[in-house]
Amino acid sequence: MSWWRRSEAARVATAAVALAAVTFALMRLDVANTATVSTTYLMVVLLVATTSRLRVAVGTSVAAMLCLNFFFLPPVGTFTIADPQNWVVLFAFLAVSLVASNLSAVARARHDEAEGRRDELARLFDLSRDVLMMTDSEEALSTLARSISRRFDLECVAIAMPHQGEWRLHAAGTPALAIDHREIASAFAAAQATLEFDAYARTYAGHRTITVDGRTVRLVPLRVGTKPIGVLAASGRPVEPGTLDALAGVVAIGLERAQLLEERKASELTRQSEQLKTTLLASLSHDLRTPLTAIRVASSNLSQPELTREERLEQSEVIRSEVERLSRLFQNVLEMARIDAGAITTKSRWTHPSEIVAAARDHVEQTLQRRDVNLSFDPDVPVRIDPRLTAAALAHLLENAAQYTPFGSPIDVAARVADDTLTIRVRDHGPGIAPAELPRLFERFFRGAAAKTHVSGTGMGLWIVRGLLAAEQGRVWAENCLDGGAEFTIAVPVAVHPREAVGATS
Amino acid sequence: MTNRPRILLVDDEPALQRAVGPLLRSRGYDVEIAGTGREALDLFAARPSELIVLDLGLPDLEGTEVCRRIRAQSAVPIVVLSARGAEADKVNALDLGADDYVTKPFGPEELLARIRVALRRVTSDEAVETGILRAGELIIDYDRRRVVRDGAEIRLTPKEFDLLSLLARNHDRVLTHRAILKEIWGPNAVEQPEHLWTLVAQLRKKIEPDPTHPKYLLSEPWVGYRFATEGT
Repeated sequence: MSWWRRSEAARVATAAVALAAVTFALMRLDVANTATVSTTYLMVVLLVATTSRLRVAVGTSVAAMLCLNFFFLPPVGTFTIADPQNWVVLFAFLAVSLVASNLSAVARARHDEAEGRRDELARLFDLSRDVLMMTDSEEALSTLARSISRRFDLECVAIAMPHQGEWRLHAAGTPALAIDHREIASAFAAAQATLEFDAYARTYAGHRTITVDGRTVRLVPLRVGTKPIGVLAASGRPVEPGTLDALAGVVAIGLERAQLLEERKASELTRQSEQLKTTLLASLSHDLRTPLTAIRVASSNLSQPELTREERLEQSEVIRSEVERLSRLFQNVLEMARIDAGAITTKSRWTHPSEIVAAARDHVEQTLQRRDVNLSFDPDVPVRIDPRLTAAALAHLLENAAQYTPFGSPIDVAARVADDTLTIRVRDHGPGIAPAELPRLFERFFRGAAAKTHVSGTGMGLWIVRGLLAAEQGRVWAENCLDGGAEFTIAVPVAVHPREAVGATS
Repeated sequence: MTNRPRILLVDDEPALQRAVGPLLRSRGYDVEIAGTGREALDLFAARPSELIVLDLGLPDLEGTEVCRRIRAQSAVPIVVLSARGAEADKVNALDLGADDYVTKPFGPEELLARIRVALRRVTSDEAVETGILRAGELIIDYDRRRVVRDGAEIRLTPKEFDLLSLLARNHDRVLTHRAILKEIWGPNAVEQPEHLWTLVAQLRKKIEPDPTHPKYLLSEPWVGYRFATEGT
């Protein structure tokens, strides 16, 4: 307000100076023609009217009329007028300048209003962009409230949403509005009860003005279509009710959108977990039935008296290996469940890479059978690592290498300790991995097209390897070798024994 | 060599080959083993066996495809091993000409019983040509469309007799619901099993000594029906 005052005083002063200057100039130039003088004054009045408010323009008109009378209409130097014709001049001048002032003021008001509209539109546009960028996060509503308060220069904004019979306030701005929830509830109820367009206020019904801690707060229902879904509270700069309605509409759409996003996310999660369950069950039922059948048949064969000793041995071997297979399957499912539950714990201790490799080989001895496994260690120094997890991961890789390559082809295992990392490479001399399948190799239940038809398996192994290694900040990746065969690499960060590290570098 | 019946076992699982092979040998059969569908077709073409035990989950060809190709050249009985829970594969294989099925995990006696029945069906096929089938106390005369149990004639409606003779001509084989519906009511009826349920219930009331515990018209749940000539 003080800014307005000061500027108005300045304009009054400018108008006075302009009038004085014109009067002085006309007197110096000795202009006596009434028409010339009144036209010049009119010009001053018009200039003032276009730049100042109506009352300044009216004041200037009256002052100009008095100057005209005092300085130029005979008898000069008095406010009396000798020639009655000059009365006509005087009143015509006053009438013209007042009408001009008024016209100019109306034009200015229109202009200001248009400016204001444009400004609100720009703000609404910015806000709707914020709404579109809104994510489905927890803080989405507070973020939205913040962006309303920023876009509309409001001190405080709060979005109130009903939640299980309570009201949840997402507020932005300081100091936070302590709005009575009962006020919100009653405003919401009113918005639900009536839906009339208030032609006078140019808003829909349901607006309320309340006072909180001495501040004026406007409550606006948030409507999607005609249905209210919440209440918006705003305080600070007075905003036009129509604008508030538009703003509330944008916010309501944003809220609805956020809710849809959330629902979609939830249903997507459900779908994924359903699919996982189906895949797991299908894979389990297939992988359980074959060993169970073999065990059942082989064990009944054992009770047949006519079997030879060799045949008996073979049957018990079938049982043994199928039980092995079942327990591996069980182990996999268990490991998978533990990875899913985040229940993999690491327990580091000092160990040699050769021990890890030996443990892994023991684990899959049956599958490896009499494969040539070429080992190299560079160097075989003690490292601090969880040997159990690493060996379990390596065992899966060895098992895969043996299963998916021609019988009798060798497998190379190279362990290397460098830069505080233990790297173990498992390289086979099989057909390699189809390039299209490389990126999906570590997905749960993913099985390559070739693997599916030739080797029984669940598609859990590599996913488990990745899960186990992740627990010790390790990584695993696969690539095809230039001269054929696939290479899987495990890299796990380790601590190297200080004495050995010195020995290794010297 | 001997006149032991020869069975072709088609399965890609080494464990099953190693367990089922000796099982069949110890029960008086000669066994040939094929690990893939193509190998099975080659072996069968070179020297037809008396019966085929076929696993539906094969690495190279779909088991149902093997079934179709063998049926195209021979009437040899096929007993299907199915590891999948879904009934669709079994039904498919039966519609393509398989005689019977066993679901994994199965016990040895289950498989042996199916093999025995399927083999006997072949040897007793001549009975069909005489126009009369005897099963237990039941005598079915196809030409005169008469059914006699314990010396007393049983009156059947034409549809009932059609169903009974269809099942009896294929005795000890599983006929799928689809196959029966198609044969008796025509191709438009294959999606309406309720016709079949009603007719089977009527027929059981007439020919079974104890309709609640049928001994001739056996249900194969979710798959079809079988006419049993041997009390199981």
